[in-house]
Amino acid sequence: MIKKVLIANRGEIAIRVMRTCREMGITSVAVYSDADRNSMHVRYADEAYHIGPSPSNESYLHIDKIIDAAKKSKADAIHPGYGFLSENAEFSERCKKEEIIFIGPSAFSISTMGDKITARRTILNAGVPVVPGTTDPIKSNDDAIEVIKEIGLPVMIKATAGGGGKGMRLVQNEKDILPLLRAAKSEAKAAFGNDIVYVEKYISSPHHIEFQILADRHGNVIHLFERECSVQRRHQKVIEETPSPLMNPAIREEMGKHAIAVARAAKYEGAGTIEFIVDDNLNYYFLEMNTRLQVEHPITERVVGIDLVKEQINIANGKKLTYTQDELSQNGHAIECRIYAEDPDNNFMPSPGLIQHITEPLGFGVRHDGYIYEGYEIPLYYDPLISKLIVWGKTRQETIERMKRALYAYKITGIKTTIKFLERIMNAPDFVNGNYNTHFIEKNKKFLEEEDKNDGDGKAMAIIAAFIDYTNRLEQAHQKIPPRQKISNWKSSGRKKSMLRL
Amino acid sequence: MALEVNIDGKSVSVELLSKEGNNHQIAINGNIYEVDLVMVEKGVYSILYKNKSYNLELIRGKVPKTYTINTLYNSYDVDIMDAEAKYLNNRKHDDIDDEAVISSPMPGKIVKIMVKAGDKVKAGDTVIIVSAMKMESEYKVKKDRIIKDVLIKNGDTIDGNQPLISLE
Repeated sequence: MIKKVLIANRGEIAIRVMRTCREMGITSVAVYSDADRNSMHVRYADEAYHIGPSPSNESYLHIDKIIDAAKKSKADAIHPGYGFLSENAEFSERCKKEEIIFIGPSAFSISTMGDKITARRTILNAGVPVVPGTTDPIKSNDDAIEVIKEIGLPVMIKATAGGGGKGMRLVQNEKDILPLLRAAKSEAKAAFGNDIVYVEKYISSPHHIEFQILADRHGNVIHLFERECSVQRRHQKVIEETPSPLMNPAIREEMGKHAIAVARAAKYEGAGTIEFIVDDNLNYYFLEMNTRLQVEHPITERVVGIDLVKEQINIANGKKLTYTQDELSQNGHAIECRIYAEDPDNNFMPSPGLIQHITEPLGFGVRHDGYIYEGYEIPLYYDPLISKLIVWGKTRQETIERMKRALYAYKITGIKTTIKFLERIMNAPDFVNGNYNTHFIEKNKKFLEEEDKNDGDGKAMAIIAAFIDYTNRLEQAHQKIPPRQKISNWKSSGRKKSMLRL
Repeated sequence: MALEVNIDGKSVSVELLSKEGNNHQIAINGNIYEVDLVMVEKGVYSILYKNKSYNLELIRGKVPKTYTINTLYNSYDVDIMDAEAKYLNNRKHDDIDDEAVISSPMPGKIVKIMVKAGDKVKAGDTVIIVSAMKMESEYKVKKDRIIKDVLIKNGDTIDGNQPLISLE
């Protein structure tokens, strides 16, 4: 049985894992780099080991140093969190070799799902739909027409060497196939010196929907329903919710079964996530599998009522799953907002720095997973995610209202954060109506960036506050009396005595 | 005494007319505001104006007398323009017009320096790459210039607004 867990991570996720450890009576061990001596995860843990300089490749990504800390602390198990070494097959294998339990899947599962081509092959064998298309290059014009007709328009012609949108053409009409094929090829040739192209079905309004699964060592696999993650900026998730406003019970059941099939095909063990791309008509295709705990896992925990980290530890202990599929249901609605140390008014420029003041939102239905505190300086070496606000409500509408209330109460000064931007998303009609896909932020750019004209007298109040703060500081500076020379009490009492004697 | 205050680049004149406890009477460009103002927490002011409650977060800038102020929906840059600030500002303007230095507005780490002293660079050339929180930003020159001096080296950790490269 696991008695002591080393958490090979930092920030909010390290603390989130430690909370469950504490509940289960498990000792938690933190690791930290030079920049993180003051970090909350070091303070929250029972034990902490220094693992090197601030850059992550010399500390949190350094397998030898983490293993060394695990041995020194005599930890039975390592929880990798997300990011860093969580999807590193070599690390999983190394733990096995060192006889330390890795709370996550085997090296085999990680590498099977990590490589896009093997993943696609494994999934196809399991009978799960993938985005239709060719993996062989287009040989000729006739070949192109034949293949595209088979897949069905619209399609994307993509350069095999492609990247950055170059050598890519969207084909919507049959008459455009040949001209666009030629254009894609010549652009690819110019950009990459390679004009090999292939064809993939174009999903015009994609939704990003993922399924949480749990699998034990005894062949039991369950899914914990979906998470809608379509609110993204530069492929980075911003807001997630469950249930998805797009979903219906029949499709949910079907996708859940397919998610389980993927986990079985990968011989998976632990908590994992199957990502699907879904179009407006609820056609869905496998995208990839994340072989770790996700950032957005708390919304599933809230709606299904299961502590996923606790389940991970039970599975790592070799126990059977605590629940069967029939016992699970979704209760109410949950939304997560990710708060980043980024400046939404300035193209989301990173904003590391000193936290002068923080007020965290409280109240019914609000969970706050974070790690910053007043006086903490956010280091510039790591991810800008500072906290996650997870809100639950009976209905989707109630959840949005509650999230707005929580964001209103959430105050962080000293650095720029995305709180204001998230508030605007909560007010965007497309989001409120649940009518959105991965183009949401782009489509609503104007609305999301617009300053609220109706700030009332806010501007005048801002001027007044600055003016008063400045004049008060000026007064204080004038009033400062030069420090008197300190005289020892012995000396002054001696002097007094000699005075009195006279 | 009236003070000049810059808000989002616009200048207004502010004067404290009277003060009694928390009650302040303040004129902004001649418009009089009667407010009840308290600093409730470090950097947080609560203002009651016409019985409406405003919460303002004051972030003091690196340069004294500059503030970023967050209201519920907006964020304002406010500078107090006293005599010293005006003088410094005039001097700084000279520098900016001349584009004598390239600096990064945020703290970070130097990833790559693309130039050395004496190099001729063309408009749009990247001269330095700075990384912060896993994101890299490239800094470019706006005109054809000559590099005068490189003030930092690869791998250095820098503060916000620290001069990195000076130009001729």
